[in-house]
Amino acid sequence: MGRYILRRLWHTIYVVVGISMIAFFFIHLSGDPVMLMLPADASTQEIEELRQKLGFNDPLYVQYWHFATKAVQGDFGESLYYHVPAMELITERLPASLELAVAAMLVAFLVAVPLGILSAVKRGSFIDLGSMLGALFGLSMPHFWLGIMLILLFSVKLGWLPTSGRGGLSHLVMPALALGMSLMAMFARLTRSVMLEVLNQDYVRTARAKGLKERIVIGKHALKNALIPLVTVAGMQFGFLIGGTVIIETVFAWPGVGRLVVQAIFNRDYPLVQATVLVLAVLFVLVNLLVDLLYVYLDPQISYLEEK
Amino acid sequence: MSHWKKFWSVIGIIALILSLFVGTATAKKDVLVVMQEAEPVGLDLMRSSIQTTMSVCYNIHDTLFAPQEDASVKPRIAESWEKVDDLTWKIHIRHGVTFHNGEPVNAQAVKFSFERAFKDSLKNPHKGKLSAFKEVKVLDDYTILITTKEPYAPGLYILGYYLPIVPPKYIAKVGDEEYNIHPIGCGPYKLEKWVRGEEIVLTRYEKYYGPKPAFKKIIFKGVPEEASRIAALLTGEADVISGVSIHQRKKILASGKAYLTNQMGVMPYLGMNTYKPPFNNVKVRRAMNYAINRQLINKALFNGKAILCPGPISPRTFGHDPTLKPYPYDPARAKKLLSEAGYHNGFETRLAYPTYMSQIQEQAEAIAADLAKVGVKVKLEPYERAVMWQRYKARKHAMYIYWWDDAPEPDRYVYSLFNSKVRDYYYKNPEVDKLLDLGRTIMDRKKRAEVYHKIDRMLYNDAPWVFLYVIPEVFGVSNKVEYHGRRDGFLDMRTAKPKP
Repeated sequence: MGRYILRRLWHTIYVVVGISMIAFFFIHLSGDPVMLMLPADASTQEIEELRQKLGFNDPLYVQYWHFATKAVQGDFGESLYYHVPAMELITERLPASLELAVAAMLVAFLVAVPLGILSAVKRGSFIDLGSMLGALFGLSMPHFWLGIMLILLFSVKLGWLPTSGRGGLSHLVMPALALGMSLMAMFARLTRSVMLEVLNQDYVRTARAKGLKERIVIGKHALKNALIPLVTVAGMQFGFLIGGTVIIETVFAWPGVGRLVVQAIFNRDYPLVQATVLVLAVLFVLVNLLVDLLYVYLDPQISYLEEK
Repeated sequence: MSHWKKFWSVIGIIALILSLFVGTATAKKDVLVVMQEAEPVGLDLMRSSIQTTMSVCYNIHDTLFAPQEDASVKPRIAESWEKVDDLTWKIHIRHGVTFHNGEPVNAQAVKFSFERAFKDSLKNPHKGKLSAFKEVKVLDDYTILITTKEPYAPGLYILGYYLPIVPPKYIAKVGDEEYNIHPIGCGPYKLEKWVRGEEIVLTRYEKYYGPKPAFKKIIFKGVPEEASRIAALLTGEADVISGVSIHQRKKILASGKAYLTNQMGVMPYLGMNTYKPPFNNVKVRRAMNYAINRQLINKALFNGKAILCPGPISPRTFGHDPTLKPYPYDPARAKKLLSEAGYHNGFETRLAYPTYMSQIQEQAEAIAADLAKVGVKVKLEPYERAVMWQRYKARKHAMYIYWWDDAPEPDRYVYSLFNSKVRDYYYKNPEVDKLLDLGRTIMDRKKRAEVYHKIDRMLYNDAPWVFLYVIPEVFGVSNKVEYHGRRDGFLDMRTAKPKP
């Protein structure tokens, strides 16, 4: 097991090097930050001076080498806009991103799993139809629209929740709900279909035949097996949620990494883009590793021991 | 039954938890909450030219002069001044002014600030605007001489914007990087805390030399989504918001909870590549000016609130020629001019515009539709900010829309946009160059205005642009607050006060 984890971590290095190269070359192809950093009336000489100072006149591979040698020492450079180390900006924002991702996941799981189970058990019933229609609605609703509707209802009309920003739990409710809604819908549909499949398996019939209570048959025997695909999807989604919630972060002025990196891309803030992309890639790989390890717990038949 | 009990008790607990957070964010009377589109990138005025950043900075930092809307200046750190000769001003610094840490604001601090503005490692984006200045000499603790390389009429006005007076000892102690995060200024507000990504809290500096601002605290927040900013204004979470697009304005007014200021403006313009056909022919350029129905665009897109520009100098700016009238909408005349220029059947061309400009798509489409009526087929080319700028500099545009602030001082933008020493990407006129060089050296205001009248008229006739309009940008302000906004668009909150 330990060797497996080490090997996976070793793979992470390949991923990170690959991602760093792609991020580096793409962002450098997309435009020069120097002209954006200076005001519109800056002279050609000022532009050239700044470009020289920032090393943008060197060939691209030389610039990458400079970046890579510093990056392995943990120095990702200073943000061209904020004038503070890029990593500092990311570590400031990461807790907010994680907080939102976890909250959205929780909201999604807490509603979707019971709903999915209920739909599967009461297949064809009114509850099944209603919840699957709801799921379809949730999946097709754009985040952006839902976010603004929530603000209009809970902040403007009812005055219950603050419109935006990060603070206490009250600030978290709407962004988590808006973000969790499509996940909720996706998980509910997934839970339902997996449960339907599992409920037809022999071991469920056996459990029932043993005279176990229905609650235990579903909660223990069926659900645990149904959770495997759910965990896979949730793991992938969690990775996306950390960096990919730009729209929700924008609507609710949530200070997460997604908005930081999108703004950095618009500003051609090279160091910040590179550092963020790397951090997100590492997180994504780690979350997926965690998911793989969870399989072992959920299904003891899965093993990562070396084959003899 | 027991299941239902459990269900309702869970619901009850959730409702209880939620109710604990309800009813937050009621702004107290001495706290002002300002929401802008973005949070600042730093708080050192010498390190950023971004509007949202500079807005916060002007509450913390003070300059020598207070720039006025007619391009004149009033005293600030400078108590009085006199012109020694065309190259030199003698400035008397106000006594008893201190930075927020108690350090004295004196002649040495002004000299230090001036020299710091040119420090290489600082990469001051405003360095170019200060380049007309040569040096600062300290005569005594409260008197300085500031000299320019050549006579420079807008000098004091430029110092009023771009030379914040900073504390030498504090900066020597903490360094430039730290200063950008924890600045000490001599303005009406001092920094209490900055939680990056969330808020900046400023508190009133009680030893401020000038009039005491009404609000004890100002909280600046960056909220990128317009609908969220408006919702915050309507719920009372925000007192002042920036970036309100025209089609959202009715909503604010209809709420009865807030009003709009109408001070600032941006001036979009449509440039043409005068080096290449068809726009190398002045008749074609004039035809473009006649072909576009700006009155209708103004009515349809800006509720008639935009101000049509006759020439390149905004009608609100010092130096514009008041005798000029905007080109009228006259498609017949446009067609005639095109025929005279040899384009009997019109021509095909491209119109580039940056996607980040507000309501730009609608403007570009309206312009293209008008041009199509006189036979000019326009292909629209929307570009992202960096790409637009790169192509602009590489002279790749045929026609392009850009904008400039509706600045009170003509030298601030006419020089930058039309003097070929600064940029000659699409137009060059040696006569205009000469006049622009002359205009900034004339110290007599009336004589100076005459030079700009000439420039305005010359460019009006030569038509290197289609002169469009000034669009008033507005701020949304809560009915509980009195704030009028400024034409330069900076949210300097020293004048804001609670309504009685």
